[in-house]
Parts: sequence; structure tokens; C-alpha cells
Amino acid sequence: MVYRLCKILTLDSIFRGVSSVSHHQRALSVVAGASEILPVGEKQIRRFRTVESNPVKHDHNHAYKFYTIPLETKKQLFQHGGLPTFFEQQTQTFMETCIMIRDPALEILHYLKTADYTRPAIRYVMYGENGCGKSLTLAHILHYGLASGFLLIHVPWVPNWMRACKEVSNSATREGCVDLNLDAAAWLVHFKSQNAAILNTIDLRMSKEYVWSKREVTKEGAPLMELVELGISRVKYASECVIALIKEIKAHSTQGRCKTLVAINGFNAFFHPKTRVMTEAKVKVPPSKITLTEAFVEITKYDWCNGAVVLTVDKSGIAPDRRESCLPVYQLGKEGFEHLDPFVPICVRDYNDKELESCLDYYIDRRWLQNEKSCTEEGRNELKFLCGMNPYRLMHICAPL
Amino acid sequence: MPPRTSLMPVDQDWGSVWPGPRTFHPASVPLPLRQGYKEKDAPPGKFGNAELMKIPNFLHLTPPVITRQCEALKSFCSAWPQGLETDAKCEESFPLEIITSDYCHSSPDIRDPLARIVTLKVKLGRLPLNTHAKDKLLRLVGERYNPENDVLTIMTDRCPLRQQNLDYALYLLTTLFYESWKIEAWESEKSEADMEYYDWDASASRKNVMGLLSWKPDQNAAEMSADAMDLDIKEFKEAVSKIMNEGEEEYTLSRYKEEVKKLFSLQDISSKV
Repeated sequence: MVYRLCKILTLDSIFRGVSSVSHHQRALSVVAGASEILPVGEKQIRRFRTVESNPVKHDHNHAYKFYTIPLETKKQLFQHGGLPTFFEQQTQTFMETCIMIRDPALEILHYLKTADYTRPAIRYVMYGENGCGKSLTLAHILHYGLASGFLLIHVPWVPNWMRACKEVSNSATREGCVDLNLDAAAWLVHFKSQNAAILNTIDLRMSKEYVWSKREVTKEGAPLMELVELGISRVKYASECVIALIKEIKAHSTQGRCKTLVAINGFNAFFHPKTRVMTEAKVKVPPSKITLTEAFVEITKYDWCNGAVVLTVDKSGIAPDRRESCLPVYQLGKEGFEHLDPFVPICVRDYNDKELESCLDYYIDRRWLQNEKSCTEEGRNELKFLCGMNPYRLMHICAPL
Repeated sequence: MPPRTSLMPVDQDWGSVWPGPRTFHPASVPLPLRQGYKEKDAPPGKFGNAELMKIPNFLHLTPPVITRQCEALKSFCSAWPQGLETDAKCEESFPLEIITSDYCHSSPDIRDPLARIVTLKVKLGRLPLNTHAKDKLLRLVGERYNPENDVLTIMTDRCPLRQQNLDYALYLLTTLFYESWKIEAWESEKSEADMEYYDWDASASRKNVMGLLSWKPDQNAAEMSADAMDLDIKEFKEAVSKIMNEGEEEYTLSRYKEEVKKLFSLQDISSKV
């Protein structure tokens, strides 16, 4: 129906002139209602959508189709970050969060489903050029984690901490180290919103006592949420809380009480020696001297089981002197590679033909491509050529159309 | 009058027209040459072209002329030695190659300072070196070694006379050779960062893999893995060494991925669209 409409529009443009066509289009978009998918009574099978919104059931039958993330899930998972900014704006325009099911995601989901969880946690590292879909693939995997009952440890974008940290203070407990307190507290809020539901069902307790100061003590046997609450309210101890929380979760996973999915976007920022974090004396601090690094380096080791670690390395997340290649060994550097070896590298590539067709169908369906020519074969070929199959570039090229 | 080029037959003897080195003369050269740069026009033609006159030309040394001159010189030459027909045989008998240039001027001074330069070329395969000696020699020599054809080139020009430079070059070669065989006390402090190749057996990668394969949830001390697992590890070792030694690219990375999948016994995604 979409294509028939577009054909009518072109005929209109010949007979009545452009202004009435655009009025027609606006009327159509009002009628269709951007908040709902087009009415179901359509004979044409929507090639680019699937109704299956539970990632646990995604497999190769759903490849290259868009699935919708329900609003509550999106709020739970991504309220404090996790989706790229432009994508977030797009979801607000389209009034729905739709992610394409692509090969790298299906591959990792398959491994997550079939891996042996009694063996040490397997680390998957996604790499790819800018704008190929690493963050969105991570979002898809995170949704899967939530749907399958994993405990989620998700860092939306590490370079936020390394480049635009909100507050720097000298660490009280570690000599020569630096705390990013507000960022740590913000992360704890994020952790809480993602995992509150699951922590209500699984009862996890602290395994030992933590003494924060004379009056503040977290006792052995206290619920994990208490630690999180403490970190949020007492920002001074937030970084240490994060480290303690991570160690506890690691221990619980190993003992089989919960399964954990660690998802970190921009992991290479933890191993690159240049950051923009500066102490009061204007001395630059490398990531090895930031307390938060220790927490996430700890969880990405292999000495725990019943969990999986999915990381991305992004060359746009670090200083310009290491942007020659997007390949993981180069991006992680010697230290990073030695820490993560052996890991499974997963390449996230540009769109292939089917994926691009699917994406253009979706944009047309959402009335994003308003120009009549974009529905024609020639128009689509032109868009294909202009964006070079890169998803990010396609999004930006289609924006003014 | 039309230029002489319009009257020249195509099969003339060019060596007679242009017998010796001469500045370019457009009316005598039957070629439609263009040389120079103008912002908006085509490169200027050959008539009245100062550029063409300035640059040296070798119109007096066309291949037929060279053949003719060589034929004439043959009567003054002795025969090429009998056992040295091919390049390979020459290299075998004469591993050391010394290159010098001679210049002759017709000015008041017939000397040229560039005549003192001496270049010495030798293939390292002909020198008796063990691994340590070869590594040390390569470090000492730096850019003067060409790994593609295994040739060490030493160029000397610091002395004023050619004989002195030649002696110096030979001295350098001798010293390099003997020094590379010596082992100094401080060489034992060589660390992983100084290693010229990636040794997987001594690397953190091996420790990681061993630790991983022998890890148990109750955290016993890491034992050495059984020999049965050696097979996987050998291929994994090769995959990692390949990434480190040959550089990271799609092929080496995909091999590494296969090996890691085998280590963790991950199955391939069975069917794709």
C-alpha cells in the first residue's frame, strides 16, 4: 500500500502541482498517525518488520527485520544511557524504538544461548568502523539479557567518563588514585533502574562486611540493593561501592545464584593512556589510576563463571592518535589484549543489500523519506550509493529528505 | 624555410644525425614534444622552449647507437671469465660487491669529490651468524639491511680519498661481524619489550589460556593443562603469533576467532539466511 500511495503521489504531482501533493502527504501522515504501525489489514507482508519483540526467540528467520522494544523495557534499560543520541532522537520522532536484527547480534545471541556456563566467562569483543551499529547491537543483546533473566552490568559509553567526567576527587582509600564520584553514583542509579526487578526476585546478600566510616557500615548478609542505595546517597563512597558491588556479583555468579551479562561500550578507553581527566593540579590521569577502571577490569577477567562479557571497541572513543584501524588488537593495545585474551572477535559490518532495503522500507513506512523520488528504484539506488552502505551515513542522508 | 624534420626519412640513421651530446635543437628532432607548465594552456611546444634546452637529453645514446659503440669497443675487451656465465655463479664466487663511480671533467680541475664514495654490498646469508649474532647485527646496522633480498649495504664517504673509504668500509664489516658474535653482560637484561619476535611461550597470552583452561569454580591453584589439550593450544598459539608477527587484519583475526571458538567449544551459528 505504501508503494501504491507513492505512485499516486507522483501522478498527482504531474497533474496538480507540487503544493497540493505536499498537502496530500501531510494529510496522509496525520491520518496514518505516527504513533502506530500501519493498519494490520494489509495484504502486503511487511518485509522489514517482525512482531517478535522477545529477543530470546530471535533467530535467522527474523534476520534483517526490525523489532520493537516495548516502552517500559526501554525505560528500564536505557533511561540513563545506552542508545546513541541520534538514534534516541529518531525514536522520539517515530514514537517507537525499533532495532534491526542483524547478523552480528544473532551470532552473539547464538553463542550466549549455547555456551557452557560452568566454564569461565567468555568475552566477546565487537569491532567495526564508525557508524556500523555496534552500540545498537549491544542494545539488542542487553534486551536479550533482560528477557532471559540475566543480571545486567551495563556501561553505556566509557569515554563519557574519560573525556567528560563531572567531578574528580582524590581517592581516600587508594593512594594516588582518583575517583569520579558523580559518574559512579550515576552509574549506580543506572544499575538500579536496570536490575531492580530481577534483584527483587533473586535474593542476593553481601558476603562480608564493608566499613565505610565510623557510622556507616554495610553488614554481612545485607541485601545488595542496600549497597547500591548507599552508593547513590553517599557520593563520596560511590566508586568504592561500585567495586564492592562488582566483586559481590562476581562471587554470586560463580556460586550459581545468578547469571550475569556484562555489556560495556567503548572498552578500549580503559586501556588508552590519554584521558581528559585532570586532577586539581591540572595533571592528566591515566585510566589505570581511576578507581572505576578497576571495577570493570575486574569483571572482564576470566576467573568467574555463569556469565558472559560483551564489549565493544570504538576508535572514536579515544584520543586521535590511535584511530588508524578499528581492529580490536590494535585498539586494545598490548595491555588490553593481554587482559582480554582469549576473546571472540565479532565484526560489525556495513549494511548488506537486504539490510539496506529493509532500512529504507522502514524509513518510508515511518514517513521519514518524504521526497517522492526516494520510493523509486532509481532513488533507492542513489541513496545506496551515497551512503556507501554505512548505517550512520544513511540516517543522516535521509534526514533532510 | 621548413624545419629539417619535415625532410627526414623515417628509416634514417639517427646516430649520424645526432652523433654526440648536444643541447636540444627543435628543428633537428623529429618528435612532437611538449614540455613545461602553463596555468590555462597545454604544455608549450618544442620551438622556443627554454625548458627543453635546459634539461640534459640522451638523444645521442639511442639503443642502436649503443649497440654500435659496444661492438666497436669489443675489440679492446678481454673475454668474460668462463665459469661466471650466470648471476648466481658470480654471487657464489664473489660475495662481496664494491661499487665506485668515476667522473671526468674537462674543466681546469679533472677531479670530482663524488668519486670518493664507496658502496659495499654483501648478502648476510654468506656470513656465518647464529640467531643471536644475526639479531645483534641487524640492530647495529638498522636501515642498511634490506630483508627482501638479504643484502647489507654499507656506504662510506667520510674520508677524502676513495682508498681510505674502501678501507673504512671493510673495517666496518669486520667489526660488525665480530661484535655481533660477542655477548655482553647487559644483554641478559633484555625484556619482553625488546624482543624482535613474538614468543608465545613466554607471553601473557599463554598464561591466560593455561589459567582459563585449568580454572575451576572452587579456585584451586592453576595446574598445567594435560597433554590432551596440546593440540588446540598449538593452533591457538599459531593464530596469536600470526596476529602479532604478521599484523592484524581480517584473515589473521578470523583465524584467531576460529581458534578461540574451539577453545570454548562454541558452535557455529548453524544456518544463515
